[in-house]
Amino acid sequence: MRRILLTAVLLAAAPAVANAQASQFGVRGLGIPGRAISTRTFGSGGAFGMFDPESSINPVSLAEVKLLTATFNGLQDFRHEETPSGTASLRESRFPQVVVVGPLRRVPAALGVSFSNYTSRDFSLASSATIDLRGSPVVVTDTFSSRGGLSDLRFAGAYRAGDKWVFGGSVHIITGSTRLSLVRSFADSNFLAERQRAEVSYTGVGVDLGIMRKFGQRFSVAGLIRSDGHARLDLDSARVARVDLPYAFGLAARWRVGSKLDLAGEAVVRTWSAANSDVLEQGGVGAENTLALAFGGEFTPNPRRPTRRPLRFGVRYGTLPFPLQAGQQAHEVGVSVGTGLRFAQQRAGVDLGLEQVWRSGGDFSERAFLVAIGVRIQP
Amino acid sequence: MSRPARRWIGLLGGVVLASGCQERLTGPAECPALCPGGSQTILETVVTAVFGADTSFVGYVERGAGSALLTSNGLEGSSAHAVYRFVSREDSVVAGGVKHGFVVDSVLLALNLVARDTLVDGLSVQLYRVPPETDNTTSFADLEVQLVPANLIADLPVADGLRSGALSVILRGADLARVALPPGTGGALAIGVAITAATPTGIRLGAQFAGLAATFTSFVTVNDLADTDAEKKQTLSRVTAFNTFVTQSTPAPDPSLLLVGGAPSSRALIRFALSPALLDTARIVRATLELVPNGPIGGLPSDPALLQSRLVVADLGAKSPLDPLRILQDTLPIGSADTVRFEVTQLVKSWQASDIPQAVFLQLVPEAASFTEVVFGSTRSAAGGPRLRITYLLPFPFESP
Repeated sequence: MRRILLTAVLLAAAPAVANAQASQFGVRGLGIPGRAISTRTFGSGGAFGMFDPESSINPVSLAEVKLLTATFNGLQDFRHEETPSGTASLRESRFPQVVVVGPLRRVPAALGVSFSNYTSRDFSLASSATIDLRGSPVVVTDTFSSRGGLSDLRFAGAYRAGDKWVFGGSVHIITGSTRLSLVRSFADSNFLAERQRAEVSYTGVGVDLGIMRKFGQRFSVAGLIRSDGHARLDLDSARVARVDLPYAFGLAARWRVGSKLDLAGEAVVRTWSAANSDVLEQGGVGAENTLALAFGGEFTPNPRRPTRRPLRFGVRYGTLPFPLQAGQQAHEVGVSVGTGLRFAQQRAGVDLGLEQVWRSGGDFSERAFLVAIGVRIQP
Repeated sequence: MSRPARRWIGLLGGVVLASGCQERLTGPAECPALCPGGSQTILETVVTAVFGADTSFVGYVERGAGSALLTSNGLEGSSAHAVYRFVSREDSVVAGGVKHGFVVDSVLLALNLVARDTLVDGLSVQLYRVPPETDNTTSFADLEVQLVPANLIADLPVADGLRSGALSVILRGADLARVALPPGTGGALAIGVAITAATPTGIRLGAQFAGLAATFTSFVTVNDLADTDAEKKQTLSRVTAFNTFVTQSTPAPDPSLLLVGGAPSSRALIRFALSPALLDTARIVRATLELVPNGPIGGLPSDPALLQSRLVVADLGAKSPLDPLRILQDTLPIGSADTVRFEVTQLVKSWQASDIPQAVFLQLVPEAASFTEVVFGSTRSAAGGPRLRITYLLPFPFESP
């Protein structure tokens, strides 16, 4: 009963906290895609995402869970942006991933619920110009701000068919909103600053199927296919648009090199170009397909105590779906490390991940240092 | 929990604190190139007042009921004199339960100078004794004949650098005859005030309404009491019971113009009719009320009055209730005949999405207590009536997505 209560509390809290990192590359379209991964996977560049039951990439990973587990992840970023208009050092803290997973008792299956960031549109853009008002030049400053994005509420299940095969499936409820505001202020105090607001809300439903094949105890391969259908957009409660969301195709492999080293890699393609015409119709720049590649590992100094200060490492590369300038698709490269600790008879734990990311696209670039912290409990 | 676990938790806690859940999201941009959505459009329009619906009303604050009294010596071709009448001083005092007569040793007359033009030198204030029957029906001519040397109580020179403060005189000995109040006369002292200066100018003196009216204080020795009696020496203070001022000329209001100020005070009600587009969708960032004076704005230099614009809660004409909070004011430039531009953005924004009448009430501050009186052109004037110059933004076309 206590487990059910805890699960309910975590899920109830999730919608209020889910969000993800901000970036200037989240200005266009639906924003910058989030990464539905745990801090543990974050530390290895996301390479273990399809095998980690505390991540929400592939439902087959739920088969790995042995006990009811809840994880809560926080993310702090420190960014330095370079744009044609200047540079800025920014920072933001968010909580991008909450997961509750657990095995079923009498069947070789597991279920999970998670609340993750799908895309993020957190940004503020300040620009300045001089315009002629009442015959005199007046300096005006516009600050365009957006807070929010799309979130992904996932209900997933996995079934283990013997020792070699695992099958999984999920239903994704895609929801969320962005609160937009534009503040125009004037250097001449006779003109009053004016704030205009709008709220865009999103709804959609997606499904995915996953499969995993184990080749002995050391090597596994996982695959994913996902369709997110489309999102319906309401501007201030009025239906204004429908945007097609992408298909995703993913493939990952995991290799236990030895008792101390575990390696993994994955590749995911998302057909974001499906949204291109919808985004253009709404006045955006467009959308392009994306590719995400990740490779990483986990080194365990003491195989007898694998949860004691493991060292995680990884690199990743990805392209971003919504360019800031037409034809200038942005990409990102990240290098990450991480570790963690389990205590209370392995029923509780904390994980730490650090990542340095470089993003660029056209005349815009940024580098970000990300700090991820995950808390994990097994009640 | 083991020691290593505690150390790790401590480390992570430190990282969390260092990260600090801080947020700073604003970066530079070139809009509209980068900003999602379209461009912000800013427009300007001029709205004239509704023809024939701008009017002046007179009689809000009577002469003497304002915060100050006016005294001048030909400022703008007209003179003014203030008048104070003090509370009666009886011809006996009560000491030990028994009435006693007294002898006046000295008298202090004190006035409050509220404002003057410090650029005018040689200012001197003359106090004259005037009949205690002086009241609101007394005309300038009636009072002027009383301000003669025979009735002079005192002549108070005012330091050239003094802009405001107390003016007082103490009368002793033979000078007490000038303010004597013989038994049987009622004991009421009234004084008229005049000024002289190197050039025509004016002063404003404190009035009852502001709690700054003149005072009349007598220092007396009570008869029939021993010198050692504590009640032998007494101070009899009398405050102002009535005050007013009279002016040499009072211009008759012209119904085709808008008069604001004067005494009794006038106010102007101006009505507008904004278009539905302005009321419903425009984001007003500046609204300026433009008023064309009928001539140079009169008043005492260096002591300008404030022009107030007030929000009308319900349009009931002269007695329209006004919003006590939404009051905008600006200083009127004395001597200028240029168009007066008055920022009323907050008031005009109040008209949007509400049933508040599209009207403003103009009044001067202080009312009936300033030399400033301004006449503006109305919609019936050839020079042009009141108009609003409005700068506004169109709704921003937010991109979605």
